[in-house]
Amino acid sequence: MLTRLPLFAPAQAARPIAWREGREILLGEFACDVAAVAATLPARSAMINLCEDRYRFLVAHAAALSVGHAAVLPPTRAEQVIREIEASHPLSYRWEDTVVDAAMSAPQASASIDLEIPAEQLATIGFTSGSTGQPQSFPKDWRSVNGSSACNARAIRTTLGIADDAAVWILATVPPQHTYGMEFSVLLPLIAGMAVHAARPLFPADIARALAELPTPRVLVSTPVHLRALVESTQQLPQVALIVSATAPLDRELAQAVEGKLRGRLLEIFGSTETCAFAHRCTAQDELWKLHEGVQLEATAEGTLVAAPWNRQPILLQDHLELHGSQEFHVQGRNADLIEVAGKRASLADLTRRLLAIDGVQDAVVLQPGTESVAAIRRVAALVVAPGLTAAQIHDLLAASVDPAFLPRPLVLVDALPRNELGKLPRAALLAALVNPEFQG
Amino acid sequence: MSASQSAGERELAELIVTALNLEGVAPADIEPEAALFKTGLGLDSIDALELALEISKRYGFQLRSDDENNQRIFRSLRSLAEHIERHRIG
Repeated sequence: MLTRLPLFAPAQAARPIAWREGREILLGEFACDVAAVAATLPARSAMINLCEDRYRFLVAHAAALSVGHAAVLPPTRAEQVIREIEASHPLSYRWEDTVVDAAMSAPQASASIDLEIPAEQLATIGFTSGSTGQPQSFPKDWRSVNGSSACNARAIRTTLGIADDAAVWILATVPPQHTYGMEFSVLLPLIAGMAVHAARPLFPADIARALAELPTPRVLVSTPVHLRALVESTQQLPQVALIVSATAPLDRELAQAVEGKLRGRLLEIFGSTETCAFAHRCTAQDELWKLHEGVQLEATAEGTLVAAPWNRQPILLQDHLELHGSQEFHVQGRNADLIEVAGKRASLADLTRRLLAIDGVQDAVVLQPGTESVAAIRRVAALVVAPGLTAAQIHDLLAASVDPAFLPRPLVLVDALPRNELGKLPRAALLAALVNPEFQG
Repeated sequence: MSASQSAGERELAELIVTALNLEGVAPADIEPEAALFKTGLGLDSIDALELALEISKRYGFQLRSDDENNQRIFRSLRSLAEHIERHRIG
């Protein structure tokens, strides 16, 4: 018999699922909104959910699932990237705040929706912006999504020391369209009994105000770049019981500073678009990562095979992970090509390829110089050989296909790239050329 | 171009260029009415975050983005400088 898993868990109409415009929204009201939106969806099969408001995103996402549609998660929301995904998924469609709002505010007939979703139904399609330039897709079925979400919820509840049915209030600074935002700000409310604030605050003052609205215990779902800004800010913040961080490595010093400022525990999550989250650690105290229950690792020459009970087959990650016992690991080296910032992702090789695709660009390389300030946590730089073009022209041409977060700064024009005798580009020479371009070539 | 910048706009332009490491951009060359984000200077949300930190250190107040006027405030050097002038402490 076909296995089916609930669309809402737990399914009590009186449990809170969101916080919006100063009040809690209970599952009963949410389900009515979902039914209203489900009735308006086109006869296609995959939603590109571009809603900015997290509540509308959540409603549209559940509506799509209820009618058998998958959610497509673009790696960034740059127009050209979304068009590339539409071209490769002809049955996809875009859904935005305005249409969701219109459906929610229209007079509602007593529509009913399917509350049980087939376990094998395609639920999400994530993408990595692969180094070949073709985005590679990673489909997850509803069973897989349920399996990883249960582990994520358990990691949060265990760290908080609270019961499985206790309320948890989430505020997220990351977009719901990103794998991490999907897992921790959409799926936890939908199928793990938590509730989420509709906002996506950016500045420390916004985060403080949104947190102050929420009941306790509060959970802040964020990234190192946002957390560093919180720590550096003089803004007073309400107590946060648990801070979740992912997308980029967080050092212990920053983890301890975050715990001091927010007076709660910091839980760092390890995962990828390919695998979903599969490990966690309390970075302020722990060095080793703990695997989610049931996950197994196997080191290979190419990287690490990750076997999770919710995935049909093991998935190869290019990160090198060293096992300690059967349940813990140490990160030896991460895939240096992949950059993730504040819930957006890109690949250095893909950015380089897009630069080379510009008419007049003869040679180019994109690199990540490093480290200190909020901006430098992620800013990429580029060296470009393009006689006849200015840096500003190249920047504008690149902006059509690249998220602003990944536009190189600085973008330095050089006569030639500092290739060594093997034709490779030593990092030290690249960094030197960024500072003193006139001495190169 | 610098002739059109007020003293407050010039000070803010210098803060933007320094805080965001905008190499190759002279503070005096930032058009007071040109867009700061996306087009124009091409800043993004992480730049806004870095900028908000520097503004709070220099001018003693916190920027907020949940303000209805947010789009207007961040539109240009001039609008941001006016917002700072109205809210600065000391």
